[in-house]
Amino acid sequence: MNLLEVEGLEKSFGGVTAISDLHFEVPPGLVYSVIGPNGAGKTTLFNMLSGIYKPDEGRVRFDDHDLNGLLPHQVAQLGVSRTFQNLQLFFNMSVLDNVMVGCHLRSHSGPLSGALRLPNVRREEELTEHWGHEALEFCGLDDLIGREASALPYGALKRLEIARALASRPRLLMMDEPAAGLNDTETVELRALIRRICDAGITVLLVEHNMGLVMQVSDRILVLDYGSRLAEGSPEQIRSDPKVIEAYLGGEVQYAV
Amino acid sequence: MSQRKGFYLLTLLVVLLPLLFPDNYFVTVVAVSAGLNAILAVSLNLLMGYAGQISLGHAAFFGMGAYTSAILTTKFAWNPWPAMVAGMILTGTIAFFMARPVLKLKGHYLAMATLGFGIIINIILVQAVGLTGGPDGLGEIPTLSFFGWQVDTDLRWYIVIGSCMLLVVWLALNLINSRSGRALRALHGSEVAAEMMGIDTTATKTGVFVMAALIASLAGSLFAHQQSFVSPDSCDFFFSIELVTMVVLGGMASTYGAVFGAIVLTFLPELLVVFEDFEVMIFGAILMSMMIFLPQGMFVGMQNLLQRLTHRRSALPGEDPNEPA
Repeated sequence: MNLLEVEGLEKSFGGVTAISDLHFEVPPGLVYSVIGPNGAGKTTLFNMLSGIYKPDEGRVRFDDHDLNGLLPHQVAQLGVSRTFQNLQLFFNMSVLDNVMVGCHLRSHSGPLSGALRLPNVRREEELTEHWGHEALEFCGLDDLIGREASALPYGALKRLEIARALASRPRLLMMDEPAAGLNDTETVELRALIRRICDAGITVLLVEHNMGLVMQVSDRILVLDYGSRLAEGSPEQIRSDPKVIEAYLGGEVQYAV
Repeated sequence: MSQRKGFYLLTLLVVLLPLLFPDNYFVTVVAVSAGLNAILAVSLNLLMGYAGQISLGHAAFFGMGAYTSAILTTKFAWNPWPAMVAGMILTGTIAFFMARPVLKLKGHYLAMATLGFGIIINIILVQAVGLTGGPDGLGEIPTLSFFGWQVDTDLRWYIVIGSCMLLVVWLALNLINSRSGRALRALHGSEVAAEMMGIDTTATKTGVFVMAALIASLAGSLFAHQQSFVSPDSCDFFFSIELVTMVVLGGMASTYGAVFGAIVLTFLPELLVVFEDFEVMIFGAILMSMMIFLPQGMFVGMQNLLQRLTHRRSALPGEDPNEPA
């Protein structure tokens, strides 16, 4: 059984086709990467999978649920979380508050009981704080707990986005260019983090430009070109696929592995 | 935490003022207005400071509460309590149906829409002479009574409004540090990320809009009974702007900041009366320099300044009194 199934997906913006007749399946427990040149439709695909854009055609199924027509918060309720290419952190909040927002779906108290600070709310707050600590620890951010999000360096912000997404305990985590802007050491740490996430039983859908990272961390790779599927397979298959070499790598095979 | 200490301090201030200065005009009259303004500023701050949804029509909700109480008690001889509840139901319902279309707008567009709403309500209050008394307003509104305890002196009003303000501040502080409060602040930080964390941003925005409106309506009813007179001037566009100024002056996204802003903006004009003709000019100059020198708001700005000073102090070696010489 596949965790995510995409069938005949189409999306265009005012005559410009972003995604055309795309289909792929993501089995559970894998790191599944989507690569392709800039403008290939990777972020558009992510935005459709997370309910931010509505597809023009086609179906997205997540674990037997039809995602078509769902709003992002409804998609999140099914167990999908994501990070963003351009940081979408809550810079007006502390590091801990950011991940505690990530726990939103795991807690239930409403505004009225919150305003009255009833005993069960207090217990839930303690639990949420504990979950927040857990997520930060998992991403190696535990020493930054007391800080304001706006005071963090870029690399830590990238990890904070991942920690926030993980705090919701998703079954599918979509990461949009998590390595962009990171230095080599941070990229190595990120690779280990992605593996840890996968080992924790969370399926990872990764969009990334850093070929070294993609080749090392992925179980399967989907190559997009002009919004449609160019190739799909294991890193080895992709590496030696002549179509991919031709279209994506410009005829020369050069990865910094 | 410091939040709680702040609340104790505010409570102490509210209790001590009339004891230290009994029968003082500034305590029994101006402080009551300041208390009402603080309730309004705290409610607007939930919407504007925390959730990031600007409203230039908050006075309209205040006016709806005030007029519902005034009309029902004077024209239909209702008891003030059910009239107050009726005001809140009416205001809440209107806010609820308004929230969805209006809160789809962002930034300047939202400001314009709420501004328009405020003006419409004000025009209705002026034009519906039969019901509202038109520009002359409505008078002879009966006062409140709690089981026979008539709220008929300035000091008693001070107690009632002071307690209400403390209650609203307490609720707001709790709310902001709860799951729903975090959802509000998240919505301000990044709407798309908030959605992705499972927060129904539309429902959250509607909720905070209705909540702010309900609190404003309550303040309006209290105002009507305290003044025993309401007129369209007490809830016009300028009052909406004044409320926004209170929130910004005190410091956005700080409940104490909103209270502080309300207190400053209520007392300042009273204190500047001595300058007579120059009053408004000096008032404007003070506001301008506040925003230039403490752009995060007076309260938040001073808090940060204080924090930086104490940090620097503790960072210097040899200045720690506990350190062995």
